Amino acid sequence: MNETTPPPAAAPALAAHWTCPFCPLLCDDLQPDAATLGLPDSACPRARDGLSALAGAPASGARVDGRAADLDDALAAAAARLAAVRQPLMAGLGGDVAAARAAFRLAAAVGAICDAVGGDALVQGLRVQQDRGGFNLTLAEVRERADLVVFVGSWPEGRAPRLIERFTAGRDQGPAMVALGAVPMAEGVESVLPVAALADSLTMLSALVAGRRLERPNPELQVLAERLRAAHYAVLVWEPAQLGPHGGLLIEMIQRIVVTLNQSTRAAGFPLAGANGAATANQAFTWLGGLPLRSRIGHHAIEHQPQRYGAARLVAEGETDLLLWANPFPGVVPIDTPLPRIVLAAPDAAATLGDESNTIFIPVATPGVHHRGHLFRTDGVVLMPLFALREDGLPPLAEVLGRLAEAMEGGA
Amino acid sequence: MKTLRLRGGRVVDPANPGSGTIRDIGVRDGRIVDLHPDAPADEVIDCGGCLVMAGGIDLHTHIGGGKVNLARLLLPELQRDCCTPDAAQAWPEALDPAAHVVPGTLLTGYRYAQMGYTSAFEPAMVPANARHAHMEMGDVPILDHGAYVMLGSDELLLRWMAEGKPFEQIRDYIGWTLNATKALGLKVVNPGGISAFKFNQRKLDVDEHHSHWRVTPRDILHTLARGLTELGVPHPLHIHGSNLGIPGNIESTLATIDALEGLRAHLTHIQFHSYGTEGPKKFSSAALQLVEAVNRHPNISIDVGQIMFGQTVTASGDTMRQLANAHHASPRKWVGADIECDAGCGVVPFRYKEQSYVNALQWAIGLEIFLLVKDPWRVVLTTDHPNGGPFTSYPHLIRLLMDRDFRNEQLARIHPDVAANSALKDITRELTLDEIAIMTRAGPARLLGLADRGHLAAGAAADIAVYREAGDPESMFTTPEHVFKDGVRVAYKGRITASPVGGTHFVEPAFDRGIEKHLKAHHDVHGSVRFEHLAISHDELCECSRCGGTHVVACEPGGAV
Ligand code: SF4
Ligand SMILES: [Zn+2]
Repeated sequence: MNETTPPPAAAPALAAHWTCPFCPLLCDDLQPDAATLGLPDSACPRARDGLSALAGAPASGARVDGRAADLDDALAAAAARLAAVRQPLMAGLGGDVAAARAAFRLAAAVGAICDAVGGDALVQGLRVQQDRGGFNLTLAEVRERADLVVFVGSWPEGRAPRLIERFTAGRDQGPAMVALGAVPMAEGVESVLPVAALADSLTMLSALVAGRRLERPNPELQVLAERLRAAHYAVLVWEPAQLGPHGGLLIEMIQRIVVTLNQSTRAAGFPLAGANGAATANQAFTWLGGLPLRSRIGHHAIEHQPQRYGAARLVAEGETDLLLWANPFPGVVPIDTPLPRIVLAAPDAAATLGDESNTIFIPVATPGVHHRGHLFRTDGVVLMPLFALREDGLPPLAEVLGRLAEAMEGGA
Repeated sequence: MKTLRLRGGRVVDPANPGSGTIRDIGVRDGRIVDLHPDAPADEVIDCGGCLVMAGGIDLHTHIGGGKVNLARLLLPELQRDCCTPDAAQAWPEALDPAAHVVPGTLLTGYRYAQMGYTSAFEPAMVPANARHAHMEMGDVPILDHGAYVMLGSDELLLRWMAEGKPFEQIRDYIGWTLNATKALGLKVVNPGGISAFKFNQRKLDVDEHHSHWRVTPRDILHTLARGLTELGVPHPLHIHGSNLGIPGNIESTLATIDALEGLRAHLTHIQFHSYGTEGPKKFSSAALQLVEAVNRHPNISIDVGQIMFGQTVTASGDTMRQLANAHHASPRKWVGADIECDAGCGVVPFRYKEQSYVNALQWAIGLEIFLLVKDPWRVVLTTDHPNGGPFTSYPHLIRLLMDRDFRNEQLARIHPDVAANSALKDITRELTLDEIAIMTRAGPARLLGLADRGHLAAGAAADIAVYREAGDPESMFTTPEHVFKDGVRVAYKGRITASPVGGTHFVEPAFDRGIEKHLKAHHDVHGSVRFEHLAISHDELCECSRCGGTHVVACEPGGAV
């Protein structure tokens, strides 16, 4: 390259098609510069952060126990270690559908226990889905129909910066918005503070919505209950990951309120969940084997244990002898453990590995930035197509998992 | 170019002359070929003592997509120790029917293939969920597949009808939707009703107005059926009618047939729409009325949606009716959703009981319909899996239809009032093998426009099931000796021997691309995905469905009614 005559500054090549993979809303209207991965300052901060984490050259190639290795050698080492253990754990699961399909195949080949990234939150929502069900709606329905939106327990703006915009864009008159037990960070949103714990507020609200007479109803909740009953279409929004260890109980109460309202008017829930491909992995595992994550994909049976098969617990209690971490998104930190580890992650995970004496690290490409793919949006209905902005020379997670599966199936 | 000879089986192939004769079938390159009796073959399989039939085709089975996966999430207790690829490949000795209520896609494909079925079609693909549906169908091993996309409660159609937009605009919208979602057909579920429920309307009769858009199901039905006719889509409008499950709904079913004014249509799970209000319980069989109407209207085909006793789950796009029935949920839980200004879904687990008067009557009504419709080409064998029962109960159902003594034994076990009064006890008809072959292969292939499936003439795809002619029909149809998919043997005596990826069947009717600017204008305001990102290309379909092959089914625009 002739350094004295730099090429003329190229006009930014804006991507004609892009779906942002950095939060479960999967907005598809931004146009990053495909070369620099830049977005205007005014664009969603989370999208900008996600892209800028991937803007430089990959920080690391594959490493085996801290030493640089080529992909083939790293894969061979990983297969050897997988073959040598009794009960592998595949954790951090998340990625596009192709990666989830390959993960299932590998799990079936080695009899792995499988958990999602953010599995504790996933299981809170799952518990309610399994115990009582619920009634939800999708993004376009919220925007079309909601005249009252209640955010329960948290204000999601930091994690899904464009949520309010996507609820209201293009509407003449947006819905009334109330935050219950959360501090709103937007104008025009009323806030109802919890009576004591959020559970108590929801219990009371549920009773009031059902028309039960209470001795000392909280006046604010009484007003909120009236408004819910008067709304044509009320939407309750929550983030499982923000509801704490008893989130399942709270979600159950939210769904009870929805069911009560639907007896006379219309209402639905809108969970904001499943970031970093967790929802996608969970959907794909569910359709392939019939059971969701937190399952052991054995040769002869799939065993689903939502409480027992939490990755952190299994590692801490020594119920696994190898951790395979698989997640292609930047900013996702693998579990730290002295157990043998195989880490398939975005290159920035290299900096978080700590002691690598027993760790195989294989950096992978990020779907929606480096290659095409599909992710489920937060409503679990819309499966968004992802587009490639530019290649980074790293293999997709699906390819790495697929090659490992092939090796393990051959060796079985 | 290996040649396979299936020697000396009794070939049951009612789509072609000479059904029931003993002869050889030749296979080369995945196709049926004419093979001279003396021509050499690379492999000869002795089919003496066996029936040779085309592979089974299930034209209405909920095998993939959003609500099916919701049902799996809702019902982990119905999954059994047989869901892994390894375990699923053997037919379990003790078949637990509950394991097949909402099986994973792997088990779905294996079980169908083990029974001699080689194609299955998902009847309720929501446009917004089309990619997901194709993903799941792609992960159903072995089977060819396809889906009917849902319109009729989408806000755009209702708006355009309300605004009196020209019919051509709506026709092109239908054409665009079929292309964009890679659908094989068009389904309407409770016409207008799913939308009406979003506006808190709880009931919608065929001539009642949608409370907001002021259009009637009658108009919706006629508009959609006419659109498909003009686009030349082979499969007629697939109709899940109004008022599902309500006593007296035979009136809306007859009104639905009337609304079509002679246009072709397929009425699905018609058992659930054939109820009268007679008798002390105000719930009676209207099978006779239904059958009379079907016999009189050659433009109408049906599938039955037979119920089977035991645990199942009902998964439907009909939020209005599912919410109304949710209090019957067993176990007591259910899930539903309003979807993308497109559609909705409701999933309610249910247990059909022999000693329940209502359930026993539903069972009898389904069988009455099977046995009383004269033209088997217009009746398809389904349980509306899993809504009436799991697809693995088909062999049992076939025996009920072929064996009157067996049928009467079963009838004697159900609720005594039904056993005593049902018209079923007097029906002597036993379906023949040809009739079964029509209802399970040749008929559905014809109704879907699959020219090279469902029969065994030279040139047809070599999707073949070979059943040993022994024992009762139930055991015979449970475990074929051999099953071939596109000429590859996929099952042998109940064990999976190969697991090829099945192909996707879809239509690509021609339409005026000028419609796209109208669609985009609507979508920019009411959608949540950029218009440009809605349509699924061939390449993307291949990614979704694991590139098992794309079969574009020919359309004949302006085709005869
Ligand atoms: S809101 Fe979420 S999906 Fe939308 S641009 Fe921001 S990070 Fe991306
Ligand atoms: Zn159905």
